[in-house]
Order: sequence, then C-alpha cells, then structure tokens
Amino acid sequence: MTPGEAATAAGGQDAALLDAQGVGKRFGAVVALSDGRLRVEAGEIHALLGANGCGKSTLCKVIAGTVAPDSGTIAVGGDVVQFRNPRDAEQAGIALFYQELSLIPQLSVAANIGLGREPRTGLGFVDRRRLNSEAEALIALFAGVAGAELKPEAIVADLTPDLRQIVEILKVLARRPRLIILDEATAALDGRQSARLFEILRARKAEGVSTLMISHRLDEVFAVSDRITVMRGGATVAQLVTAGTNRDQVVRHMVGDARIHPVTSQRMPPALAEPRLTAQGVRNARVHDVSLSLRPGEIVGLGGLQGQGQSALLQGLFGALPFTAGRVTIAGETVALTRTADAIRRGLAYVSGDRGRDAALTGRSIFENLVAALLVREKRRLVRPSELDPLATRHADSLNTQYAGLDAPIGTLSGGNQQKIFIARWLATGPRVLLLDDPTKGIDLAAKGDLLAIMRKLADEGASILIYSSEDAELIEWCDRVLVFNSGRIVTELAGPTLDHFHLARAAYGEAA
Amino acid sequence: MTLRSGLTNPLTLAAIAILALLAVGETLSPGFARGDQIVRLLTVAAILGIVAAGQNLVILGGREGIDLSVGPMISLGAVIAGNIMAGANAAILPAILAATAVTFLIGIVNGLGVTLVRIPPLVMTLGMTAIVQGGLVVYSQGIPSGNAAPALMAFINRPLVLGLPGILFVWAIIAVGLTFLLRRTAFGYAVYAIGANERAAMLVGLPVNRIRCLLYGLSGFFAGLTGVCVIGYTGNSFISVGDQYVLSSIIAVVIGGTSLAGGAGGYIGTVLGAVALVLLQSVLTTLQLENYGRQIIFGMTLLVLMLLYGRQGRLRV
Repeated sequence: MTPGEAATAAGGQDAALLDAQGVGKRFGAVVALSDGRLRVEAGEIHALLGANGCGKSTLCKVIAGTVAPDSGTIAVGGDVVQFRNPRDAEQAGIALFYQELSLIPQLSVAANIGLGREPRTGLGFVDRRRLNSEAEALIALFAGVAGAELKPEAIVADLTPDLRQIVEILKVLARRPRLIILDEATAALDGRQSARLFEILRARKAEGVSTLMISHRLDEVFAVSDRITVMRGGATVAQLVTAGTNRDQVVRHMVGDARIHPVTSQRMPPALAEPRLTAQGVRNARVHDVSLSLRPGEIVGLGGLQGQGQSALLQGLFGALPFTAGRVTIAGETVALTRTADAIRRGLAYVSGDRGRDAALTGRSIFENLVAALLVREKRRLVRPSELDPLATRHADSLNTQYAGLDAPIGTLSGGNQQKIFIARWLATGPRVLLLDDPTKGIDLAAKGDLLAIMRKLADEGASILIYSSEDAELIEWCDRVLVFNSGRIVTELAGPTLDHFHLARAAYGEAA
Repeated sequence: MTLRSGLTNPLTLAAIAILALLAVGETLSPGFARGDQIVRLLTVAAILGIVAAGQNLVILGGREGIDLSVGPMISLGAVIAGNIMAGANAAILPAILAATAVTFLIGIVNGLGVTLVRIPPLVMTLGMTAIVQGGLVVYSQGIPSGNAAPALMAFINRPLVLGLPGILFVWAIIAVGLTFLLRRTAFGYAVYAIGANERAAMLVGLPVNRIRCLLYGLSGFFAGLTGVCVIGYTGNSFISVGDQYVLSSIIAVVIGGTSLAGGAGGYIGTVLGAVALVLLQSVLTTLQLENYGRQIIFGMTLLVLMLLYGRQGRLRV
C-alpha cells in the first residue's frame, strides 16, 4: 500500500477508519459496481445491505483486497491505500470472514486459527504449546454457547457446521484487525451463538475495533448495528444512522422506485384444482421444515437472497438432494424421492442455471444432450437416431434455438442456446412439474423472453412450475405467487398486490408480509 | 479445414500409422506384409483387442477410469480355463464360463470400490492387482497345472474359414457388438454421459454408480476371456502371463482416440490401436530390439500420444 498525499487533508480530526469513495468494478460487460461508497468510523458496527446483485459482495472484496477496483479510492485511517492482494488488506488491519469456509478440514482448530502466523520456537519450528494456548483463549470467548468438542486439538473436519463457523470467526479475531468484515457470519449459528458473537463485537467496539456486517436478517441488523449503508444496482444509495431510521425506510432504499406493482398478464390458474405436488415439513441439509403446494397450471416463484435453501428445495423435490424428513405427494400419492430417475418417471423435470456443472454433457453432441432425459423417462433400451431426430429438432426449434445441426458438439452453442437445449431435453419428456433453478443465469434478454413464453405455454397446458430466480424482477413478472425464503424456511408468501420489489426485498430480509 | 481435421482425427492417424508400419516392416524384412504373416499379427492383435475392449469401456466411463488389474485377471482366466479344460475339448465351454464369471465378479468388486467407497480407480485396481496375483499363487501353488484343449488351440491358431482363424471372427463380433452397444443403445449413451459429466448424468436420472460398476465388471469379463484366448494361443499358462497386457491395453485405447478423461472415443479406434501396436511390436522385433528396448518405445509412444491428443483437446474447445 502507498500512502497518498491527498489523503492527509482528510486525515484531520474526523478521519474515518475506512472511507471508500466512487468505487467501480466491471467484469467483462457486466458492471458489478458503479459507485460504491462506504464510510466506517472507528469503533462502530456498520451494516451493508442490498438486494441480490446490488454490488455489496464486490465492494467487500475490493475492501478486503481480493478484487482490484477499476476506479475509486479507498482510505484507511485517512491514508489512501491500494491493496494488491488480501495480505495488503490484512496488514492494514482489515480481516474478511469468508462465507465459503476457508478452513483446512484436516488441520486442528488451533492450527487453523493460527494459519500463516504461527508462533515459532527459538529453532524456527511451530510452537505448538503457544499455538494451542492462544487458541484456547479465543475459544473461551464462546464458552457456554459452543459445544465441548470445540478444543484447540480438535480436527476441523470432525466439527459440526456451527462450530466450524465459530472457528472461522475466531480465525478472523486472532488477526486482531481494526476492521472485521462479516459476510453472513451467523448463517450457521444458533440464536445464543449469534448473540454471543454480537456481544464480542460490541466489546471490541470499545477498543476502537469496527465491524462491517452483511446480514440477511433485518432484525439482527437493527438489534446490533450503529449505522447502515444501503446499495442498489451497483451504487450506494443511502447512508443511515440505525437509530434514526426504520425497516420500511431501509427496504425502500434497497428497491428504489421499482416498488410499484408492475402490470403482469392476467392469467388465472384454476384455483379449485387438486394440488399436483405438495410438500409437508420437508428438510434436508439447507431446507428446514418447508411446506408448499403446487396446483396444475400454476407458476410459483421461490424468492429471497441467494443460498437460503431455494435450490436445495428444488433438488430435494427432484431426488438429487433427498429429504431427510417430511412428506411429498404427487397427484395425491405419497412418493419417496430418493433417486432422480423416480422423479423423472413421475413427470418432474429440473433445469439448473449452472449449466456447466449440472447439465452439459461436455464434448457430446446436441442430439445426445437433448435426448438424455427422454431415454430415462421412457425406459428405452435402443436408440434410433433416425426416429428421435425429428422429435429433437421439433423441441429445439420450439424454443427458437440457433444451432448448425444436431450432430454439432454442445460446446459450439452460446450460453443461451445451450440452456434452450437443456430445456428442450425436459420438454421432450412431457413434464407435469417443472423445477427451474435460477434458469436464466448468464443468458441474454431474447433467450429469457423465449423461456418465459415456453413457461407460460406449458402452464396454460396444465404443467406446474416452481421457479427460483436470483432476479426479483423475473419473479414479479413471471409468477402467480412467490414463496420467500430465509435461512432454509419460507418466511412469507407474496401474491397479487403484495408481489412487488418492496415486499420481496423486505421479506428476503426475514420480515413477514 | 477438412485436411486438418482429417489429420487430427485419431482413426485416420491410426490407419496411417498401420500402413506406415507395414511399409517399414516390409522394407526391413521382405515378407513382413505377406498374407499369412498378417493373419498371425491380427491374431495377436485380437487377443490384445479383447482385453482393450474392457479397458476402453472403463476409460470411457470417466472419473479417471482405468483398470490396472486386467493383467492378473488375464492370468487368472488362463489358469482357471487351463485347469478346467485339462486338455479335454468337452470342457471348453465350462472353462470359458468359469474363467469369465470369476473375473467379472472381480471387476464388480473393483467397481464397488470405485463407486461406493470412492477409492480412486488407479489405487483400487492396483490393490486388486496385488490381491489377484497373490491369490493366483496360492490357488496354483506357483505352477499352473492345466493346459488348453486341442479344439481351442485350433480355433485360435489354425485357419477356420477363408484362411482366417476363429478368433478373428470372435473379435469382429465383439467389435460390431460393442460399437452397437455404444452407439445404438441407451446403455451406450449413458456410458458417454457419465464420462462427460457425472453430475449432469445423475440429474437426467442415470444410475451412475450401477453403470460404472458394470463397466468394471465388463472389463473383468473381457480380461477373463482374453485369458482363455492366451492359453488357447500358447497351449499352457504361467502365473504372470497377463502382465504385458496392462500397459498395452491402455496404449491401444489411447492410440484409438479415446480420451483418458472419459466421455469421448469408441471401440473402432481401439481396434485400429491394437493392430498398430502389435505391428509396432513386430517391427521392433524385426529390428532385434530386446524386450526392455520395446518397453521404452511403448512407454514413449503412450506419452507422445498423450502430448498430441492433449494439445488437440485444447484446440477443440
């Protein structure tokens, strides 16, 4: 980092601990951040809020040195800095808690906490005794709320998720940072553990240590934070004092003017029909006690911030991430969905937005990619390309797919056209329930339009559609009603007049409608 | 464009290699490419081609699929078949059934280890190599006693129809059958699918583990069948008779253009690969290269091919 001369002007009596101004960052053609502004004073707890894709994560990464900004300035304690890597940021006293755990599972708790800054003995070896005693002191912070298994010598892989998350937090605290960045740090913690974490952070405030928290729970934000920065569309739109604002005001800043209920099509699903699919109290790794029911012809959205269990629910219904509890019925019959083939033969289909991971048979032809699910659904033994070609062509064409021929490798198509082939894969099976898992990720507007058209057509023909989208606008425009998720649970259901950006954003942060 | 894609097509390359090797052999030793010599070479290639069929399937199925245990499974197949036949024509069929059944089951165990226990295929089949080798010594007390039935030897060594031995027809049937299996059945499509992207294959409803188990079982089956052919070719067996086939079966598959990453390739290429490899071996013998010299050339062939195809793979993206 290099101290800049201009910064000394700001280095007077009110130099903030962190002052980021006009931070911009684009990834290819996508502008992730256009005007990120954030000012964190010494000794405060500061919340950073915004809807999916507002740029808050990118801004945090810039501050923590993992992403280099295209424009803007960052000052720490009044000195302008340029972080080339996370180590620079760490030396400036900024420590980031990683949402995706950064622990090394095979190592002990103490080794993880001290990773990279192990105390040495006179001979240059790691001083295990000091390493363990330092870890012991940190673990004591969570005494009474963490299980007895949390010991310096315990191997991280053997710990439960909440304890692993605590180790991750301790690893951040061990670095004695001036600014702690916590991105969804309480996701795996129970109420008492979260409360203890906030006690610790409040205690650090007195020592001048600040916390920047990203949380998906507004009640938490209002209980703990001193000030709030709200982002929308890549820019900072509000900097508020927590005590001087309220939840609705914050949510309004998050959604801006887009909160007017848009006029969607007046399609009315047959309300009296028996539900085609119901789930009662289902659970798996990321879904906690979810119940829902889906009627023929209905398009139901799953909303909320990313990673709140929407995808896990869809995969659970599809048998890819089987439920450990609860009951699922299809057309009134209780079914055990433990294998994807069972789900497919009962008329379910699953389209993922992560094509490379979940859908693409890499290197294989468009034809093979398209008929893959059909062969399973119909339990075919023989494959006659001459017989299946017309069917494959028909389904590919029904989505306006641009392709040279069915024999071309799937990789020759653009992302949007690939996604159409993967949707055609399921149309060919004549699905009765379509499970769409953020299906428009990375595809262009025209392809989105084609997808919406085919969804409406299928729904009009009586199919039931359950769609998760990370874009609120799609849920509002496309769905009859939206179930909003928070921490693996449905917090509220939005439909009709309440299905708008305002209510979606508010519900995403855990507020009931 | 067409010229270039033609030249980078593994099938074309293998065919060119075969013709070039024939020309070199004929130049070095006139009579190398004579009809009866070629039949002799094809017989040796057929034996390699049959074990390479199993190797091919396992490699196509992806997740670093490979079967190092084909060597001892061939030896085991040869010893079991020899013991059961004991020179009697009447016992040929039971001998084939017993040899292939045992090696099929060993292959299934490989498959269970790879899928359910998630042991890497390299380690699983290497461990199985040691187990089968050791078991073979215990079973045969070091000196296999059986020998081949005369009819089996004749089937493999003597002309049957059109001047060709029976084993070449068996190989042709395997080639056609396997190609049909891979290109025209849902099972074949599933093999390519799990090799190309296992998670995507699971999400279109394919029983990924069951298929992969079966592929290892089939590799065992083909190794056992190769063992029967080996004892039919030489008349009797010894307990390390199959060892030479481990590396060469992998090279034959790779020459034929099957990707070691899985999900791309086929058996016709492997057939050409087996022929090319046997020709290479023969040319090296003509050059009076000692066995270790051949080993060096074989190893280098594999690595050079990996280099060539690896580069091609990157270009193909």
